[in-house]
Amino acid sequence: MTTSLDTQRTMQDGHWATPYTLEPGQTQYHELSHTRIWITLLDQEWLIRYQRMPEDDNQERWQQRVTHTLPDADLEVHRFVRPDDGSQVCYLPAMSSLATVIRPYQPLTIPAESECTIYVGTLLWMRIQAGSKGTHLMELPLADPSLTWVGRTTMEGELCYSAATFARLVLEAVPKRPWRAITPVRIVNERQEPLLLERFNLPTPLLSLHRNDKGQLWTPRVTVTCETDMNSARLKIDQSLIAAAGQCELISPAREQTSRGGLVRAYDRIFG
Amino acid sequence: MIEQFESSLMQFFGAIAWGKWISTLFLLILGIVLASFAARGVTRFMEDRASRHHTVMLRRLVFYIVLAIFFVAALREAGFSLDVVLGAAGILTVAIGFASQTSASNMISGLFLLVEKPFEIGNFIEVENTIGEVVSIDMLSVKLRTPDNLYVRIPNETLIKTRVVNRSRFPIRRMDLTVGIAYAEDVERVEKLLLELARQNSASLEEPKAFVLVTGFGPSSVDLQFSFWVPSNKVLEGRSQMMVAIKKTLDEEGVEIPFPHTSIYAGSHSEPFRVELLRPETTTNKGGPDADQNG
Repeated sequence: MTTSLDTQRTMQDGHWATPYTLEPGQTQYHELSHTRIWITLLDQEWLIRYQRMPEDDNQERWQQRVTHTLPDADLEVHRFVRPDDGSQVCYLPAMSSLATVIRPYQPLTIPAESECTIYVGTLLWMRIQAGSKGTHLMELPLADPSLTWVGRTTMEGELCYSAATFARLVLEAVPKRPWRAITPVRIVNERQEPLLLERFNLPTPLLSLHRNDKGQLWTPRVTVTCETDMNSARLKIDQSLIAAAGQCELISPAREQTSRGGLVRAYDRIFG
Repeated sequence: MIEQFESSLMQFFGAIAWGKWISTLFLLILGIVLASFAARGVTRFMEDRASRHHTVMLRRLVFYIVLAIFFVAALREAGFSLDVVLGAAGILTVAIGFASQTSASNMISGLFLLVEKPFEIGNFIEVENTIGEVVSIDMLSVKLRTPDNLYVRIPNETLIKTRVVNRSRFPIRRMDLTVGIAYAEDVERVEKLLLELARQNSASLEEPKAFVLVTGFGPSSVDLQFSFWVPSNKVLEGRSQMMVAIKKTLDEEGVEIPFPHTSIYAGSHSEPFRVELLRPETTTNKGGPDADQNG
């Protein structure tokens, strides 16, 4: 069900990390990515409902508006006791809690002893915080994530999320959507042979989220250095963002911290 | 006479070396107290560092060792020569050994299982057609809880001697479903549909990739094997959801899943059988009897 043109005009843009105030009885309705969300404030509780919808590729806005209409009664409701008298609700983006395997739609070959930077967009989770103290209510992915297995054998390894990407090399070609964060990945091929990039493992729990003045979400750059063996590529996460991102402020810190100052050894996780 | 009785009693009591017996008793009691303290201390130390199973075992071991030491000391105090005691113990051991062959075998199997660790508490194992979750691993046996909540005791000996399948050792599992489609259907089209279903199913993993194999030309259908991987905790729901989705999709796409067919030929590719349709309202007239009453 696509919103009609009239409704589109009355809907406003949604913003991350911005408090919205609701009166008891009002519902804030959001449409972004693959999801529709209804947040309702009642006298003593907060209600959250969400539903998946097929993504409209032309839709680039996060639309929201405050109404009194509620969705179907058979949609599952998540109820939360109101933590305090505050009636603000705030939305924060978060990266996935499991590492994400990035698969370019078409595999990319990097020539010997050269490097390239690709721009990857990953799925975000929406954290809903309510009340004057910003109490965390719940977190939901903005689309159904698909799982995949990463490991040398089916006996050892780990479950990760999987994301397909166009692996764009030009920043301007990357569509800027408010529900996707752009991660620059610099891949350095230090070998004597070309490197075929079919899939690699991005440590998304270690990436923090930043927003620039245009409202776009960025994460620090990840550098992947492949020296001799595909299986022992090194991953390093930059401390700051690339210049092309512009002036950025931190929106959400990383879910986990690395113990070695950004240097992560990926073993067999990185390619295969 | 009473005096005589009294004096012999006094003699009897005087002859017993009270000091020795009291010190023996004292040693025994001290042994029991110290052993239980040591056991409790060991439990507290081991609780956070090892599994419950190891903790209990070590506690019992420490208790009995300390008790044994004090028992031996008490015996020496009481004047028993240790050699005699050991000799008697030797014979006793042989006798008990013969009697407790199975128990000893189970105990030793238990020790081997402990070291080898083919399964742990909480794993689902299958032994001799019994599937269950391991609730405890004891000295002589392993206790399982079946999915329908029955308590099964499996002796350790059986676990060492026979095949044990650990169903939850690895984090992912492959589901193999057999799908039969009619001979008239396009196999490659069905293959594409099934792979698309695997892609859409939330429990099915992207890698290792799902695949479809044609396993045979069955008597009624072309048999396909549809395999996909799921995380171990989503095995049941993954299979069920997928089977429902397969039926729904094949019905929507008009692909026939045949039930067993048997074709009957009247001779060699001859004409079809004559079939007469009877209307439901009219009662059938079965006609006269075959044979005449008079023969």
